[in-house]
Amino acid sequence: MGDIVIGIADLKCSNNKDDVLITYALGSCIAVAIYDPAVKVAGLLHYMLPDSSLDAAKGKGSPGMFADTGIPLLFKSCYSLGADKKRIIVKVAGGASILDNTNYFRIGEKNIMALRQIFWRNKVFIDKEDTGGNSNRTVRLDVADGKVTVKSSSGITKEL
Amino acid sequence: MIDKILQSIEQIPAFPTTILKAGEMLKDDDYSVDALTDVIKFDQAIAANVLKMSNSAYLAPRHRISTIREAVLYLGQKNLLKVVQTAGVSRYFAKIGRGYVTTANELWEHSVAVALMSQILARKILQREDETLYLAALLHDVGKMVMGEFVNDSYEQIMDLVAKRSHSFLEAEEAVIGINHATLGGMIAVRWNYPEAIKNALTFHHRPDLAGEDDVTTWLVYLADQVCLLAGFTGGMDGLAHRGVNDVMKKFDFHEKDLEMGMMQLVADLQHARELVHII
Repeated sequence: MGDIVIGIADLKCSNNKDDVLITYALGSCIAVAIYDPAVKVAGLLHYMLPDSSLDAAKGKGSPGMFADTGIPLLFKSCYSLGADKKRIIVKVAGGASILDNTNYFRIGEKNIMALRQIFWRNKVFIDKEDTGGNSNRTVRLDVADGKVTVKSSSGITKEL
Repeated sequence: MIDKILQSIEQIPAFPTTILKAGEMLKDDDYSVDALTDVIKFDQAIAANVLKMSNSAYLAPRHRISTIREAVLYLGQKNLLKVVQTAGVSRYFAKIGRGYVTTANELWEHSVAVALMSQILARKILQREDETLYLAALLHDVGKMVMGEFVNDSYEQIMDLVAKRSHSFLEAEEAVIGINHATLGGMIAVRWNYPEAIKNALTFHHRPDLAGEDDVTTWLVYLADQVCLLAGFTGGMDGLAHRGVNDVMKKFDFHEKDLEMGMMQLVADLQHARELVHII
């Protein structure tokens, strides 16, 4: 296979060790990368907004758009490929803001907060994260070994 | 360095006369279908792009459009003006060199996204679409096509100021290169004989507070740009290193929820407007 691209408001899972799940240009959006090392199942979500109460119909039709609909679906999709909640490793990236964060549109922060609440309620632990700041990020998740790399628009690439 | 940059502006080709002529004709409600068809057909590259875009779901024609004459007949005055402007502007973005972005299409997609977002905001705030705003939004980053090479050469110095001295990207451009991409965009607008409204929107698209209270076009281009940057339809390596101008929300009596709805609409509009993104 190869690179599987996850667009904005979308999610994909794979258990094919030749696949790399990749999502480009996260601004205030968030990528949630989950991986079960025992069965080598990986899933990647790129959500844009915290809460589907904004538009319930959209939450149904396009669940990857929101944290509260996208995150549960991401986990369920990986369970259906044999992943187990107890083994899943969670890494997140994104939630950037523009400068001067007294600012009028704190969507990045709200996205991060939504994620923490959902994970806290469901007793899921975030293993690693690269959130906030003011650069765009591209996230890759390697199905073979669960390695997550984050490349920022300022040019730096790091492993999470 | 400034001299070199100003020289590069002189070398930018004049804006295509086809677009200027078609734009002028379309301002008159009583335009002639035949005359307009002839003008558009005269420039084959533009005509081809007009056809490609005319069938996009974003413009939703009721008939399958396969000739320029059909586009002129069925698209309607306002959508036709947008299509013609998009076709004309795109050629300048196709040639973009190294610098802010790794591929030309990245900056073009950002430009189309800001243009679509500007109309989402206009519908909500002005209760109408606005063609001048559309064109200003589409062109807002045109300065980057000249600045790209210079930014590329001074990349480390610029990023250093952004990372360590809390400069915005714009302030760092000014400090290192002597001019920023917005001011430069305004100069290009002057070279193309664009009206004052477009020039100001380009010049002040990161600092609408300097353009004046009443310059709604500039404020809306600013807001549309910021929303697109946040949503990840990015203009390149400047990322989100731009200053928030807080007054913008009060000015339009706008709330975060309105912007979230706008973002949602933007994703849908962009999916319907793939033909616009893919003409370069």
